[in-house]
Amino acid sequence: MDWINITNAAINGIVLGLLLALPALAVTLVFGIARFPHAAVGDYMTFGAYTAILVQSFMSASLVAAALIASAATAFLSLFFYAWVFRSLSQRSPVSSLIASIGVAFAVRSVITFFAGQSQYVIEAPLVRAWNFSGVRILPTDLYVAATAVLALAAVFFMLHFTAFGRRMRAVADNPELAAASGIRVREVMITLSVIVGAFCGLGGMLMGFKAVVLPELGWELILPIFASVILGGIGSPVGAVCGMILFGISQEIASLYVGASYKLVLAFVVLLLVLLIRPQGMFGKIIAVR
Amino acid sequence: MSYRIDRRQFAKLAAAVAAGAVLSNTAGAAEAFRLGALNSITGAGGAYGPGMLEAIQIAVAEVNAAGGAAGRQFELFAEDDQTKPDAAVLAVKKLVEINRVEAVVGIWPSSVQLATLPITNAANVPSFNVCGAPELETLDDKDLVFQFYASNKVIGAVFAEVAKKRGFKNPAVLAYNNATMVAQAENFRSTWEAGGGEVADFIVYEPNQTSYRTELDRALSKNPDILVLSSYTPDVTIILKEWYQSGYDCKLISPGWSITQAVADALGPEVSAQATTISNVPASSTEAYKAFHEAFVARTGRQPEMFATAAYDMVIVLALAIELAGASAKGTEISAKIRNVTNAPGNKVSTFAEGLAALKRGEEIDYEGASSPLEFGEAGQTTPAFGIFGFEDNKLALQEVMTLKS
Repeated sequence: MDWINITNAAINGIVLGLLLALPALAVTLVFGIARFPHAAVGDYMTFGAYTAILVQSFMSASLVAAALIASAATAFLSLFFYAWVFRSLSQRSPVSSLIASIGVAFAVRSVITFFAGQSQYVIEAPLVRAWNFSGVRILPTDLYVAATAVLALAAVFFMLHFTAFGRRMRAVADNPELAAASGIRVREVMITLSVIVGAFCGLGGMLMGFKAVVLPELGWELILPIFASVILGGIGSPVGAVCGMILFGISQEIASLYVGASYKLVLAFVVLLLVLLIRPQGMFGKIIAVR
Repeated sequence: MSYRIDRRQFAKLAAAVAAGAVLSNTAGAAEAFRLGALNSITGAGGAYGPGMLEAIQIAVAEVNAAGGAAGRQFELFAEDDQTKPDAAVLAVKKLVEINRVEAVVGIWPSSVQLATLPITNAANVPSFNVCGAPELETLDDKDLVFQFYASNKVIGAVFAEVAKKRGFKNPAVLAYNNATMVAQAENFRSTWEAGGGEVADFIVYEPNQTSYRTELDRALSKNPDILVLSSYTPDVTIILKEWYQSGYDCKLISPGWSITQAVADALGPEVSAQATTISNVPASSTEAYKAFHEAFVARTGRQPEMFATAAYDMVIVLALAIELAGASAKGTEISAKIRNVTNAPGNKVSTFAEGLAALKRGEEIDYEGASSPLEFGEAGQTTPAFGIFGFEDNKLALQEVMTLKS
């Protein structure tokens, strides 16, 4: 394989990785702060994609409007399920919340299927030709997707590390009881977390629908790679989730040049295994001492 | 108190119904033939299922108007399989175990036929479909399953014929990873290579991905002049988007259910103009088609498509086979007679009434269907004519009809 193919595959992997970094970051934040693996993120993405379709067919064809409304609607959905389901389970074992999140995933998908049916939808956007740099092709669409994802990720990182609110979130992540004792309102942090999770999944879903096609299983199919890259990056580490997802994306795309394309996911998991053999805590994970 | 009266009333009514049923049975007419229609009314097949059910109802009315098959009127029980194997299993269990149907017609997706085949075969119930999965030919050990649409193996061979005829030299293949589509692509390759050609690249891709760009780039790096897409609508939509955006110029060929009018509407004329699709088309010059066409338009106000036409033929063929096998025939006894009434030699007939009259005179018949001449092979497969379609101004248009020797 020559370098042009490898570069193209790597670019493709980076774009996919950046896009999926949005839900991966949501998963890792929930795991860090609310302490359970949130299995409904995939279906929140699906919800975002369908909202974008709805916006396009009834309000305006503008992609920016579709993205904003999809994020807002999904944030609202996430908040609704926090208030209805996850808040009352927060004192129980994480397993209850995990099982409940699977239930939420099914409920969201079934409601979508009930109204929208099984057939596919396409987010309308003009098709543009790629810029061709002697064989290395860059799609303008991919640039928009990547830029949107980078902006959203940067905003969250800024909030986490440079604002008082981010400090409070990290404090709750470290020790919720201690944070509450120091006067941090845990519920406020949880509400913000739900909004971020929803907005990121909604945006990720809309971008995914923009790149691919919108089907009821859109998000659910992505849960496995998202969870794998969260583990790869180090559970609970936001930087880790983003880097893990990008590494996962690149290895999957480059792998498909060398083995049959049907085995590309397998090779991505081989990379996951190798990293975890060398660093069992993941790329950016911390070793937690158990007392 | 009222509860007790209700119960008594119910008992009386039930007794009356039972007595009525006994009386009508003893009144002479043979028992009705219970026919199951398993259609994809909702789901991915929802574009075709409702039309197929209408066609089945038209055929049932035609059979009943002619006095029934072997004197037995057809009674129809319809279920929706939702284009999903799990829903189909529940539906077919209801048809077979509760409605006690003696044949199932109208199955659209291979996944449904593959899931329901063990149930219908175990119950000795013939099932007729428009599927293309080649494995149906080997799985059906009782010769109860009949396919009214070309197998995907044959469609793959037609791709090669069309590509050759149009002067392409360097095809690359992208195939969806399931048994049916890989078989279609493999058959394209073997037919193409048998004709002296070479395949630039052969890529089997994993379904349900959000991007196929790397697979596509790999195929395009071999400079193909045509992409053979053994695919379904969701994946082909993504592939075509990425193909167009890549700026690479070549032609495309796919089965008719893949690059559909809906895909063309979503992606625009610049993409669709490069595409050729292959589907079975009805035998539009036959008497059977003309009669069915008239009945279908009168009933629905729409033009019948291939799957509806095939569904109509299923009922007529079944009725003719029952007539030949006799009123008491069951399952395999009926299916054993299907080739007798459809395959050459025999007097060609175009309607149920014609066939019925000929069979009563003791003649051999060869039903020339509305969907195809219906010559069933050993595995219950048939090869209707192929339509080669293109998109003109982004509208699907038939360009040419091609027949293969079965």
